[in-house]
Amino acid sequence: MTDQSQQLESITQREYKAGFVTDIEADSLPPGLNEDVIREISRIKGEPEFMLEYRLKAYRHWLTMDTPEWAHVHYPPIDYQEISYYSAPKKKDDGPKSLDEVDPELLKTYEKLGVPLDERARLAGVAVDAVFDSVSVANTFQDKLAEEGIIFMPISKALKEHPDLVEKYLGSVVPYKDNFYAALNSAVFSDGSFVYIPKGVRCPMELSTYFRINAANTGQFERTLIIADDDSYVSYLEGCTAPMRDENQLHAAVVELVAMDRAEIKYSTVQNWYPGDENGKGGIYNFVTKRAACRGVSSKVSWTQVETGSAITWKYPSVVLQGDNSVGEFYSVAVTNNMQQADTGTKMIHLGKNTSSTIISKGISAGRSQNAYRGLVRVGPNAENARNYTECDSLLMGDKCGAHTFPYIEVKNPTAKVEHEASTSKISEDQLFYCKQRGLDAEDAVSMIVNGFCKQVIRELPMEFAVEAQNLLGLSLEGSVG
Amino acid sequence: MKQLNEITTPFSEVAATATLPGAGLNWLTQLRQQAKAQFDRQGLPAKKVEDWKYTSLWALSQQTFSHTASETSLDTAQVNQVAALENAYRLVIIDGQFNAALSQLDGLEDGLTIASIAESFAQVESVIGQQVEIDKPGLTALNTMLMQDGVYVHVAAGQKIAKPIEVLVISTAENADLASHLRHVIQIDAGAQATVVEHYVSLAETKGFSNVVSEVQLAENATLNHFKLQHESMGQFHIATLAAKQAAGSVWNTNNISLGSKLARNDIHTQLLGEGAHVTMDGLYLVEADQHVDNHTRIDHAVANTTSDEVYKGVLDGNSHAVFNGKVIVHKDAQKTDSSQSNKNLLLSRSCEVDSKPELEIYADDVKCAHGSTVGQIDEQHLFFLRARGLDEVAARSLLTYAFAVDVLQRIKDEPIRQALSNVIEKRLPKGA
Repeated sequence: MTDQSQQLESITQREYKAGFVTDIEADSLPPGLNEDVIREISRIKGEPEFMLEYRLKAYRHWLTMDTPEWAHVHYPPIDYQEISYYSAPKKKDDGPKSLDEVDPELLKTYEKLGVPLDERARLAGVAVDAVFDSVSVANTFQDKLAEEGIIFMPISKALKEHPDLVEKYLGSVVPYKDNFYAALNSAVFSDGSFVYIPKGVRCPMELSTYFRINAANTGQFERTLIIADDDSYVSYLEGCTAPMRDENQLHAAVVELVAMDRAEIKYSTVQNWYPGDENGKGGIYNFVTKRAACRGVSSKVSWTQVETGSAITWKYPSVVLQGDNSVGEFYSVAVTNNMQQADTGTKMIHLGKNTSSTIISKGISAGRSQNAYRGLVRVGPNAENARNYTECDSLLMGDKCGAHTFPYIEVKNPTAKVEHEASTSKISEDQLFYCKQRGLDAEDAVSMIVNGFCKQVIRELPMEFAVEAQNLLGLSLEGSVG
Repeated sequence: MKQLNEITTPFSEVAATATLPGAGLNWLTQLRQQAKAQFDRQGLPAKKVEDWKYTSLWALSQQTFSHTASETSLDTAQVNQVAALENAYRLVIIDGQFNAALSQLDGLEDGLTIASIAESFAQVESVIGQQVEIDKPGLTALNTMLMQDGVYVHVAAGQKIAKPIEVLVISTAENADLASHLRHVIQIDAGAQATVVEHYVSLAETKGFSNVVSEVQLAENATLNHFKLQHESMGQFHIATLAAKQAAGSVWNTNNISLGSKLARNDIHTQLLGEGAHVTMDGLYLVEADQHVDNHTRIDHAVANTTSDEVYKGVLDGNSHAVFNGKVIVHKDAQKTDSSQSNKNLLLSRSCEVDSKPELEIYADDVKCAHGSTVGQIDEQHLFFLRARGLDEVAARSLLTYAFAVDVLQRIKDEPIRQALSNVIEKRLPKGA
C-alpha cells in the first residue's frame, strides 16, 4: 500500500462523532406488536377514532405481507416482536411551554449536534420541530408561522387540532398497502411533522426537523405529511444523527408530500445515523418510504438527500407527476463505508402532460460497503411530451466495495424523451498525486475530489445544510482510497 | 419458484416417449433426465420472476405444439432464395431436422468441422451443457431434455476459416405448429477464427415454437464473429439462449438482429474468463404490430483486463413492446475492466411500449464502466431539415429511421455480411409513421 493510501486509511477509521447516549427516563411500551399495542399507542396519544381504525387496517394488512427481498442488501431477519413500539421522554404535567422547561439533558443533546434551538435558531431563521424519539418536544417560531396561516406541528398534535386535514391527506400518497414497511409504519407510527402551507403563501423560513433515535431497542416510526396548497412554496429540512449503539435499530419512516396547483416543495435530507462499526456490528436499518404527489398543474417537488449514515439504507424518494407541466427532481449523494449497504434511488412516474423529471445520483462506496442505485422512470400512455434526464455516477474507493446501478425505464408514449446515463470510476493515485504536489494533504485532496464529484447535488441544498453536508462527506469518506 | 402451472403442451411426456438422438450415450441420457427433473420442478417462468417481469409466456403455455414433423419438399432454389449468404458453407435445418441434401458442406477447409449435432453428440460431451445453466428458470432445461438437432461447428487450433458458415433454420407451412428444440455448439480452439451466421426464417405463417440454445466455447486467442438474424413469421414464438465462455485473449463479436416472431426472447450471456478477452455484443430489433421482443444480455468480467462493448438499438411501431435488460457484472479483482453499454429506442407509434433496464454490478474499483439508455421519437428538427430539402414526410421519416438503425450495422466489419443484413433490414423499415 502506498504512503498516501495508508494516510487515508487512518482517516476512515475515525470514530463516529455524534455517538453518545442521552440518559433520560423514557415511557416505553414493552416489546411486542399486536392489536392491543396499537390501541394503546392510539390511546396514549389521544387520537381520533379514524386514526385508530386506519392503524388497525394497516396492521391487519401488514400481517399478510412478506418482507421485501429484492433489494441488493443482506441482513439477518428482524424479529418484530422484539421491538418496543412506543417510547416518549417523560413529561411534566402539561409538557414544556418554553425552552426553560425542556429537559436540560435533551437540550445538551441538541447542542452537541449543533441544532440551533435557542436564540441562534431565530438568527438562523430556522424553526425546529425537534423529534426526540417519538414525541415532539419543542417547537419554535410557531407564532411567526401562525401569522402566515402555516401549520407546522407534530403530527400527533395535528391529529387533535386539524383532524380533517390529516384524515384527508394521510395515506393518500403512500397507502398503507404500499409496501411492508409502509404498512408497519401506518400501524405503529409514533410521531413526525405535519406541515400545511395555505394558498398563495411562501413559507418565510426553512422548516427543519431533527430526528433522533435514542432509547435502546425502540424502533422509530416517523410519519411526515406536508401539504402545499395552490401557489405556495415550502422548503423543508430534515437532518439526522443517532447515538452509538450495538443493537441494530429499525427505522421505518413514511414521508408524504402533496403539491397542489403551482405549488413547490423542496425537501432536503442529511442522514447521518450510526452506520455500525468497521466490522458491521450495530447501526441503523433505515427502511423509508418517501413519496410526493404533484397533484396540481405546474407543481414541483424536489428531493435532495445526502445519505452518509445507517448500516442499511433502503429508500426511494419518488414523485408521481399527475398534474400537467409538473416537475420532479431528485438529487442524491449516497456514501457507504466499512460494511454499510445502501440501496437507494427514486421513482419518477409521469402521468400528466409536459411533465419533466431530473435525476442526479452520486454514489460513493468505500471499505467493504455495497452501494446501489435503483430507479424507475415510467411514462404513462397519456403523458404527452414527458421528459426525463437521469445521471448516475459511482465513485469507488477501495477494491473490496461494490457499486451497482439498476435503472428501470418504462415508456408507453412515443413523445417521451428519456435519457439515462451512468458511469463508474475511482479516485486515482494520479489525481491524488496532482493535488498533493500542489500542496494539499491527502485528506484535503480526497475531500476536494469528492466534493467536486458531488457538487451538482450539494449545490441544491439550502446553505446551512450544504455546509454540514460537505463536512459530513469529508468525515465519512476521507481516506478510503486504498 | 414462481411458475406457470398449466402448460398445454405435454413437454415432459414428449421427453419420456419420443425417440431422441444420442439415446445410446449414457452421459446424454443422464443430462436429459436431470433437465427433465428440473423442468418438472420449475416449468416455464412466470412474470413474477424478475428476469421475466415484462414478458409473459402465458400465450406460449396455452398453445399446443406438435413434436413430430412431416417430410417437406423444398428444393435448392427455394433454399437459395432465403439464404442470407451466397458464398458460404451452409447447414440447413428444416422443421427441426438437419437436411443433408440441401446443405452445402463440400470442400470444408482444413481443421473445420460442420455437422448435425444429432450425429455428433459423441464428440461434444465435454462441451455441451458447459456454457449454460439448466437450473436457471428459463427454457434451457426444456431444450436440454428435448434437443433433437442443431449444428456442431469445430475449428481446430490455429485455423483461420475464411468462408462464413450459415446455419439456415427454416420453418415451413407443412409443420406450422411445430415445437423445435435446437442445440448449437460452436467450439473454436486456440488461435482459430471463424464466422457463423445463425439465420431463422419462416416460409409461411407458422405458429410454432423455436426454442434454441447455442453454446460457444472460445479457447485462448480464438475469434468468433457471430451473427444471428431472426425473421420468423409473426405467429412464431422464438426463444433463444446464447451462452459463451471466453478464455484469455479471445474475441467474440456477436450481433443479434431480431425482426420477426410474435414473441422473441434472447438471453445472451458471456463470461470473460481470461485476461485480454473481449466481447462486442450488439443487437438491433425492429418490431411492429403486436410483436414483443425481449433481449436480456449479461456480461461477466470475471478476471482483470477484459473489455466489453455493447450497443443495442430498437425501432418500435404499431402496438409492439420491446424489453431490454443488459447486465454488466465486474467481479471482485477484475481490475482494469473497460465496459460500455448503450440501449437506444426509437418509438414510431402511439401505442408501443419499451422497458429498458441497463444494469451495472461492480465489485472492483479500478474500472471504467458506463452505460446509457434513451427513449425518444424522431426529432422534429431533423425532419424539418429533410423536408426543407425536398423530401416528403414519409421518405424523410424512413431515412431518419434507417439512419438510427444503421449504426449497429456499421459496426460490422465483414462487408458481404453487412450488406446481406442491410438488405433484409431495409425491406423491414417502416415507410413512415
